[in-house]
Amino acid sequence: MSLILEIILYIATGVFYWWWTQNLAFFGLAPDLIFSAALAVAILAGPVRAITWGFALGLYADMLGANMFGGYALTYSLMAYGVYVMKHHFDMDSPFSQVVAALALSWVCMLFYQGLSLVFSRINPLGLKIFLAGPFLNAIAVPVIFQVFYGLKRRTGIL
Amino acid sequence: MSREKDAANYAIVFFAVLSVLILLFPASKMAHTARVAVSYSFYPSMHYGAKYGHFVRNVPSNFIGILKTDQENRALKEKLRNLEVNLQNASALTAENDRLTRELKLSRSMPWSGSWARVVGKTPSDWYGSFYIDKGSDDGIAVNDTVLGMQDDRAGLAGRVFEVYPRFSKVLLLTNAAASAVCSIAPSGMEALVEGKGTWLLKVNYVPEESSLAAGAELTTAAGGLLFPSGVPVGKVTKVYPRESFMNFVTADVAPAVNVNTLKEVFVIRRGLQPEPAAAAVMAEKK
Repeated sequence: MSLILEIILYIATGVFYWWWTQNLAFFGLAPDLIFSAALAVAILAGPVRAITWGFALGLYADMLGANMFGGYALTYSLMAYGVYVMKHHFDMDSPFSQVVAALALSWVCMLFYQGLSLVFSRINPLGLKIFLAGPFLNAIAVPVIFQVFYGLKRRTGIL
Repeated sequence: MSREKDAANYAIVFFAVLSVLILLFPASKMAHTARVAVSYSFYPSMHYGAKYGHFVRNVPSNFIGILKTDQENRALKEKLRNLEVNLQNASALTAENDRLTRELKLSRSMPWSGSWARVVGKTPSDWYGSFYIDKGSDDGIAVNDTVLGMQDDRAGLAGRVFEVYPRFSKVLLLTNAAASAVCSIAPSGMEALVEGKGTWLLKVNYVPEESSLAAGAELTTAAGGLLFPSGVPVGKVTKVYPRESFMNFVTADVAPAVNVNTLKEVFVIRRGLQPEPAAAAVMAEKK
């Protein structure tokens, strides 16, 4: 049952991200809800589940683009592992630490993906607009998504 | 605690290796399987969301839209009447053209046939790279089909079909840094390679320095580039860069003929070209 609910949540996250980018993108900018969901799950769930979610959400993000299949899957898997290690040293449950983590990890993930892209595809996918504004939008989205996922976890026991 | 750490280590190694394998072998069966598996999670948004979303979205604007549609309908009826007259003139011209073509033994280019599709998915992280359309293999769309956009009642090259699923497809935009097209520069007809930059502009490369390339020159797809039909507007040169001392050709910025930011519908030309891996396999067999 838990697995079915998690699959539904995964698909719902994708649908919500699609809806947001289609209707609420502003100057081609929108919070990266896939990244935000991966980070929220990494904070909430155990390491194996978090890494699995990171990989699955990463594949979803890879499908949305046309540059490099597997790049985001690797990036978000590693991010989930990094968050698991960080959780032992920092309190990641407070909104402030989530904002800081979202800001820092957004840039780290973008640069890591950029590096992967240059190595595997020899192209430069990172737009300046996204690089400068994206992390701040993600920083707003992560605490909200965390609260939603936390509420679902408490009510249904998933994650 | 130690068991959890071990499990975490095993999980990250497993998924990292899997990701790297997919990255290293993007055309492998494993990567293809992963694509197909993930594509199922796209159905709610790309297919059903795009199909039924308008029923629940923007109700007030839809009402205004109906009123505007009525006005537009009247204007279109007027335009249609004028077009009927033009069509009769055109059919006479086509008949004359056919006759002259036969007489001059000129080969006519294949007329374009295809279908309209709506843009249903675009991600900010790949804004100038790709988007999804609501037509797939069920509608006869195939890999490498040419995708045209309309701007100011004029068709222009937007990109090509990159991946096809039963009910939606992914389009690789010409503005993608990995996309390119062989183009002909008016009025000289010189051929050059137009490439995407990952931004709203394109660049034209490998233009001989002695060519008289200037801002404002129009580019259309060339017959030499087999991927796209010839004669499709690609864009207009906006800036020509001076030749570098170590190169014997010049480069220029090109404004695309269609603005990919404003595309809502596209026209997919069915060309029936082979997808790249299959084409490569055929070439390998011939060798």
